[in-house]
Amino acid sequence: MVNAAKLLQDLRASAERKPDVVVRLGKPLIDSGAVMKLDADAWLVYEQVAIAALDVGDDVLAHKCIQALEAKFPGSARVNRLNGMKFEAVGKLTEAAAIYKAILEEDETNVLAAKRQVMLLRAMGLPTDAISALVKYLDINYTDFEGWLQLADLYLEELMYGQAAFCMEEVLMLQSQNHIFHLKYAEILYTQENYQLALKQFCRVIELCKDHVRGLYGIKLCTSRLLKSAPSKDATATSQEDLKAIDLLATERLIAVYSANGAASTKSISTKWIECL
Amino acid sequence: MGAWTVLQERQAMLLDPAIRDWVLIPIMIVMVLVGIVRHQVTVLLNGTPKKADLKSARETKALQRGGILRAHGTHLPEHAFEARKTFLSDAFEKGTYEKDPNASSKPKGNVMQDPAYVETMMDGMKKNMMNIIPQTVIMAWINFFFSGFVLIKLPFPLTIRFKSMLQRGIETSDMDVSWVSSLSWYFLNLFGLQSVFTLILGSGHAADAMRDMQAMSTMGMGAAAGPQMGPTGQPADMHKIFLSEKENLDLTEHEWGLENVEMRVLVKYGKLPRSVLVDYKKAKSLGSASSQSASSPSSASAQIAAAASSSPAVTAGKKKGRRQV
Repeated sequence: MVNAAKLLQDLRASAERKPDVVVRLGKPLIDSGAVMKLDADAWLVYEQVAIAALDVGDDVLAHKCIQALEAKFPGSARVNRLNGMKFEAVGKLTEAAAIYKAILEEDETNVLAAKRQVMLLRAMGLPTDAISALVKYLDINYTDFEGWLQLADLYLEELMYGQAAFCMEEVLMLQSQNHIFHLKYAEILYTQENYQLALKQFCRVIELCKDHVRGLYGIKLCTSRLLKSAPSKDATATSQEDLKAIDLLATERLIAVYSANGAASTKSISTKWIECL
Repeated sequence: MGAWTVLQERQAMLLDPAIRDWVLIPIMIVMVLVGIVRHQVTVLLNGTPKKADLKSARETKALQRGGILRAHGTHLPEHAFEARKTFLSDAFEKGTYEKDPNASSKPKGNVMQDPAYVETMMDGMKKNMMNIIPQTVIMAWINFFFSGFVLIKLPFPLTIRFKSMLQRGIETSDMDVSWVSSLSWYFLNLFGLQSVFTLILGSGHAADAMRDMQAMSTMGMGAAAGPQMGPTGQPADMHKIFLSEKENLDLTEHEWGLENVEMRVLVKYGKLPRSVLVDYKKAKSLGSASSQSASSPSSASAQIAAAASSSPAVTAGKKKGRRQV
């Protein structure tokens, strides 16, 4: 019981979304009523379990949690948002939209409701509306890098790579140490056929995360394109010797990674792929 | 050595246990109780927190945006950085992000007629009153009834410097420093009871004397929720803040962190000796120095030259910007 509470707290702190784990840990706590022993933390657990239960489709548990929260905090916007999410989970999107709208009318700075509204538009299949709503949101809450990531995704779905790249640049400024974001930016650049820049970004991925296979593949793709094309006149471009060296390095690392831990078949496939470039 | 024992013997004072029961402990209990009551009253008085305004949130975030671009712009390629720089400095100049874009053109009215300003002032006043009144009352009570009392002897020796701290209200020069007077006991409690309050009321309680002291020294300054205040307690002119941020932005030169990333990766995997990086740095600084003297028309070196020559201006401008803020 103490361990479960501790684990739930850790999950809350790290903001990981593991609904199955949360429900498994939280359900006995709430059913047995032991959760009330946690004092002030109890309500955080209720909220956490409610969202997790919605994620895994346990509507009964979610309903129970939300009811408990409503009894404790009547008229709270945060609880009301959970109600909206409950409607979303069962597919009643218009009801959910009404709830979010009411919350925002009450308090226009409610970030959670504003974000839900955007996702609701996305779920309704209105990506353009979702984009404009999200742009409006980000104009105010500039520092929300998750919002920028979401916007990049939306733009990618619309095949608007330039805009998506812009969003990823914002993410890079806000969260510069995460190699996954650098990777995403690099891949967008590659798709835009900006191989020079993409190569540098892929290199950055490798610099931040050693032997990142997807980054190594990216380097291979870029170098093979750049080596085939005429050498660039641009002074800032990577020199031919560097290109060759980095190409060699990527090949070497890829083969090394697959020989160390991979089935013989994957290794032969990756070797063949490299030869094909 | 001998003098020390004499002093010890001479000061073998005995305190009446009634002092402990009727002065020492009551003062402490009263202070704890007053702290708790103050916490409750503050909670009552505060009521609902003021709702933040969307436009002022946007205003602060926009300023932050300029700062982030200046601090983390190295992660962006040149074109992305320049585009943002131009956009932001334009927007800051025009006041696109300001809460009230026309505020600067309007004549400034009396700040006392601005309800938001008066409200924050009142809030500060209320908080200060909640702090000052109970403390004054307790101090007067102690001064009136127990002035000149010696309440407790600390179980360890202290240097003479502590005398003014521990024997306030007793004007003797000879008494050992480890004796504590009633007024000093009050002060010790005032600052020492904080962890007790945290234990009783939980963290973030309003009985915190130290925090109030800080609040007093910055009296009337707007909290995060209130409108932005200048150092004089007047609402600051946001347009000026934006303009100085624009100036800071304009003077920021772009330096790309990925310029030699291929080299760094090669070094990381041991394909190149580490000294290559040092050489690269040297070559770069040398390159900028030489291009400054040579008046070559190529764009890259011209830029570097401009950067080098403008660097004194950068620092000067930054200082200026600070002053304006």
